[in-house]
Order: sequence, then C-alpha cells, then structure tokens
Amino acid sequence: MSAATTSSAPSTDGSEEVAPRRHLGTLWIALAIVVGLALGYTAGLLTPAVTAPGDDSVEAGFVRDMSTHHAQAVEMAMIMHTKAQDEQVASLAADIAITQQGQIGTMSAWLRDWNLNPTGSQPRMAWMPNSQGSLTNGLMPGMATPEQLTQLREATGVEAEKLFLDLMLTHHLGGIHMAEEVVDLSDDKDIDWLAGTMVASQQREIQAIQTIKSELPAN
Amino acid sequence: MSISTQGGPERRPSVVKPAAGAKPNSPGDGKPSRPGSGKGKGPRKPVTPVKVAQQRSWGPILLFVAVGVLAVGIIGYGAFAVIKGSESWEDRAAGIDGITNYRETDPGMLTANHKSGPQTYKTTPPVGGDHNTAWQNCMGDVYDAPIANEHAVHSMEHGAVWVTYKTGLPQDQIDKLAEKVRGNEFMLMSPVDGLSNNISLQAWGYQLKLDSADDDRIDSFIRALRINATQEPNAGCSSGVTATGTTPRDIGNGMQQGS
Repeated sequence: MSAATTSSAPSTDGSEEVAPRRHLGTLWIALAIVVGLALGYTAGLLTPAVTAPGDDSVEAGFVRDMSTHHAQAVEMAMIMHTKAQDEQVASLAADIAITQQGQIGTMSAWLRDWNLNPTGSQPRMAWMPNSQGSLTNGLMPGMATPEQLTQLREATGVEAEKLFLDLMLTHHLGGIHMAEEVVDLSDDKDIDWLAGTMVASQQREIQAIQTIKSELPAN
Repeated sequence: MSISTQGGPERRPSVVKPAAGAKPNSPGDGKPSRPGSGKGKGPRKPVTPVKVAQQRSWGPILLFVAVGVLAVGIIGYGAFAVIKGSESWEDRAAGIDGITNYRETDPGMLTANHKSGPQTYKTTPPVGGDHNTAWQNCMGDVYDAPIANEHAVHSMEHGAVWVTYKTGLPQDQIDKLAEKVRGNEFMLMSPVDGLSNNISLQAWGYQLKLDSADDDRIDSFIRALRINATQEPNAGCSSGVTATGTTPRDIGNGMQQGS
C-alpha cells in the first residue's frame, strides 16, 4: 500500500510535469510542419509566376515584336515562293518562310508558358531602350511598307526576285538589330539562345542574298 | 555537525507539508527512515514541477503566432495572385462592357465549313459561320473599301480581330482606328456600308459595337481577343486575299482543303 502510494505520487507529479509539455511540444511541431509545408507549397506555386517574365518585360516585348517582324518575313517569302522562277530564290523563300513561322510558334508557346497574352499593354519596341522613333507608321525596323508589299505582289520575273531580295535584306538587318539588343538586355537563356541563332542565321542569309542577287540576270 | 542538526529540525516542519497531502499514508509509516527518504524526494519534486507548469514560454509562442500569421498572409496573397494571374482571356473579354459573346448566346451559328459563293450571316458584320476557302489578308491590313464577309470570317477563324466602321466615318476617327491595326498581324480593318454603329469590332464569336474611336474598350477588345480567339492555333494571316469588294473570290478546288 504505502510503497504503491509513494511510487504513485511521483508518477502523478511526473505526468503533470512532463506529459503536458510533450503534448504541447508535439502540437507545436505538428503546426510547424503544417506551416512549413504550406509555405513551401505556396512558394512552389508562386515561383513560376514570380520568375517568369512579366507583361512589360524585355523578354515578352521581344517575343511579341519579333513574332510580328517574323510574320511579315513569312508573308514576303510566301508571295515570292509562289512566283519565283530562280530556283535559289524559291529555295531561299521557302527556307525563310518555314524557319520564321516555326520560330513564331516557339515564341508564342513561351508567351503561353509565361501566362501572357499575344498582345501586350506596352507599345511596340518599348522593351528596347532609346527605341523612340524606331517605329514608322507602326512598322518596326526593317519592315516593308504596305506600298512595298503591293509592289512585291504586282512585280514579276527578275524584277520581283530582286525586289524580294532587297526587301528581305533590309528586313533581316532590322531583325538582327532587335535580336542583338535582346541578347544584351536579357539573361533568359532560352531567349538568348533563340535570338543568338537568329543573329547568326540571318547574317548568313544576308550573304546568301547578296550572292544570289549578284548572280541574277540584269533586267 | 551543527549544520546537520539544524538541518534535521528544518526538515521536520517540511515533513508536515507532504504529510498533509499524504494523510492516509502517515498512520501507516512507523519507521522514521522511510518518511525521511520520502520527504527527501517530496519537497524537491513538487517545487520544480509547479514552477515549470506555471511558466509559459512566450517567446516561442509569439514566434509561432508570428510565423503563422505571416504564412496565412503569404498563402492568402499567393492564392490571390494565382487566381488573378490566371484570369483567362475569356474572363477578360466578359469583363468588357457591352460585348456580345455569341459563343454562349448562339453557338449554333458559329459553323466553320468552307463554302464557295456568298453566305448569309445572322449578324452584321458576321462574327463566324461558314466561309470561303480564302481568307482576307490580316497582316494589319487597312482596307479602304468594303471587303467580302466570307473572307473576313475566315480571317477571324485564324484568330484575327476585324475592325469595321460605318462608311463615311470622319477621317480622324478612321486614322485613330487604323493606328491600332497597321503593323499588327492578326488585325484587319475595313468600312461597312450602313453599319448600325460608327464602329464594330469582331473576333470569332465576339462583337462589340461602339460610337467613338477614342473608346478605350477598343484596346481591351484587341488585347483580350487578338490571336486568343483563334479556332486554328498558329494559323497565319498572310497569303490571303488583299483585294477589296464584297463578292467572295473562290479559289480552285485544289485549295479547298487548305485553311
């Protein structure tokens, strides 16, 4: 009896002393884990939204503007492809149309990944510093005017081929300028990769254009 | 020695305290050694537990509460940002005052078969329906005369926004509209004879009628629907009809499958 009671007395004391602390401790640890998980989950949810280029970012501006710039190259190349008599011109036109349309697809997929719209809130070329005045009637550097496109549609034979090569050369120079700028301005490795290949391949195409042009018969 | 003897009497009163708590035990305890040993444990243990039980460690509690509040705040903001960021173009289109969404109100008219010859449309200008094999060029083209509905509908199927205005609209209003169109692929603009309002904006299944080119809903409409409204993602706007005239231009049967 006495032994039991004496032993029971410390045990009750001990339970009052230790057990509540343990319960509290477990509760805090559980809460801490829940809070930690919630924080981690939220951070995971937010990270792509925070790290993806924003609506008025250099990357979004470039992707939208270069898509438009490319779209005109595709237009001119398709006009030429249907009527080119020179095989080299026809081949170049097909190359330009297919390559640039493909790049438009890549760029529009990025916009979707970034949860951004094809049309932004910023004006054309706003992503490029000191770009004021680079737009002419809404057209970006190197882009052909509606009148030049009409000329290209109506021209025939060698005249059309030479006009196409001239318009495409100017177009590429404008495009290379924009692509070089974005490589400077952006640290996005995808943007730098695609823009870098644009610079390199369009420079090679400019050389091809000059070669083809020199080989065309005088009209 | 004196200390030990002093300690002896001092312990005795302390014996009384546990004795009060352990009254039933006291009668049973005949030997002094036992209670003495029991008392030795007794006073030590009660003292420590009482102190610990009463002490609340406010530091960690405050820390946890602060972290909890912070977490709730971050989660709340995160949920808000995610919900707001994920607002779809459909939601933004629905938020434009005065817009009509025929995809909801009359989806039956938005068929998309390729048909030659003139077609009839329920709305003026049309917002969808059967159309010509050829599309109207929509590379930011600003047409100065009416164009064929049958071609423009095909352009909208490709994702274009078609800006129309009532024939005879003042030139400054036309210029303001043209500024929003020129240089932008998936945009085209043309006058329409006898239009009910000064301006009407169309995308596939959507229409917004307006009275002024200064209305900022024009930009909202373009931002929400240009390209987004497409029925054929990544379809183009070039290689289309660039001529004006309201009679559709049929292309040879070889082009019937292309769109």
